[in-house]
Amino acid sequence: MRPADVPMPRPRPPLSHVLTGLSLSLFIVAAAAHAVDARVLGGTPVWAKPMKFAASFVVLFATIAWLENRLTSVWREGWMLRITMAIMGTAMVTEMGYILYQAAQAQPSHFNYSTPLHEFMYTVVMFGGALALVAGIGVYAFAAARDHGAELTVPMRWGVVWGFGLSFALTVVVAGYMGAISDNQVGTPPADPTNLPIFGWSLDIGDLRPAHFLSLHAMQALPIFAFAVERFSVRRPRLVVSLAAGAYAALTLALFAQALAGQPIF
Amino acid sequence: MTLDEVFAISGNLAMVGWVILLFAPRRFKALGHVARILIPVALSAIYAAYILPFFAESGGGYGTLAQVRQLFTVDELLLAGWVHYLAFDLMIGGYLAERMDRIGINRFVQAPILISTLMFGPVGVLLAYGTEAVVRTGPRALRRV
Repeated sequence: MRPADVPMPRPRPPLSHVLTGLSLSLFIVAAAAHAVDARVLGGTPVWAKPMKFAASFVVLFATIAWLENRLTSVWREGWMLRITMAIMGTAMVTEMGYILYQAAQAQPSHFNYSTPLHEFMYTVVMFGGALALVAGIGVYAFAAARDHGAELTVPMRWGVVWGFGLSFALTVVVAGYMGAISDNQVGTPPADPTNLPIFGWSLDIGDLRPAHFLSLHAMQALPIFAFAVERFSVRRPRLVVSLAAGAYAALTLALFAQALAGQPIF
Repeated sequence: MTLDEVFAISGNLAMVGWVILLFAPRRFKALGHVARILIPVALSAIYAAYILPFFAESGGGYGTLAQVRQLFTVDELLLAGWVHYLAFDLMIGGYLAERMDRIGINRFVQAPILISTLMFGPVGVLLAYGTEAVVRTGPRALRRV
């Protein structure tokens, strides 16, 4: 059998779906390195960061794949979402590439201005990539709002629009602030820092990452809430989901304010 | 020919194969055969030329880490070991590219996976199979196009 002659048995899988798989594979690779490598950077194992980012990308692309599957083909296969996903994929691959490379060197990948190359990689690749990813989430919020034929119930459509929209808006605020101060913590950590396991958030001083976590995951939290609203046929679903979105935003901003005041989350 | 020259030639040969896998349009089948068959076979011949004459007299073996270390103390076998990497990584890269083509994974997504295979062979295998597993077995609903 000449393999090159075998016809393609299935249509091209959506890029969001492929990127979910690639992110999961990157998580496995980073986890394997984590199992052997004892080096620590800023009180956290060096491979924890690529693992967290890869896990976050799995969730991000899986959520988008789920949404795309509910959009009409006009939107799903339209130029806007295809270009958006191509840009998001490029951002993910370059960000993960650099984060893995820097983890191998036991060097920070964010807020690293130590050499011109590190500065370029942080300010252009990491910051630009993050901006592209967040803007992409905003584009999907727009698509969910405008695609009237989408297979989305009333609560689910609002859960997606609010969730994706808040992920976009809140992340711009929280991550934008972290970029502006070039740090994810407020205050000076003690010589022997205590960090939340797995997440690595400081339990001594203000840490902006809890708010960043909530802002990024509004796009999962609110659709899941909307699913419950849909399941239990709650009355006035649009109002209920919108109120939940408001509460979620308030909680995120409260964590943000707590971190700005230099207080740890617990 | 010195060992350094053989090392350089082998590396260049492998890189030709990788450039084909990464950039050449797949419709030029002859080019694909060069990357997947011709170059790996040439590298395999170079490997055979160095492993067979020097294996026994090195006093090393495959049984323990110490025996493997003993093998690599002989420069000819160090070169052979390296050419083994080049040959097999390229062959595996060609195979992974073919699998990814078959399930419709975009060349731009293939590129970082193939580059991982070039740099760190088995890491690329993990990435390619992991990605393929999700593409093939994801929830049925997600596979609808």
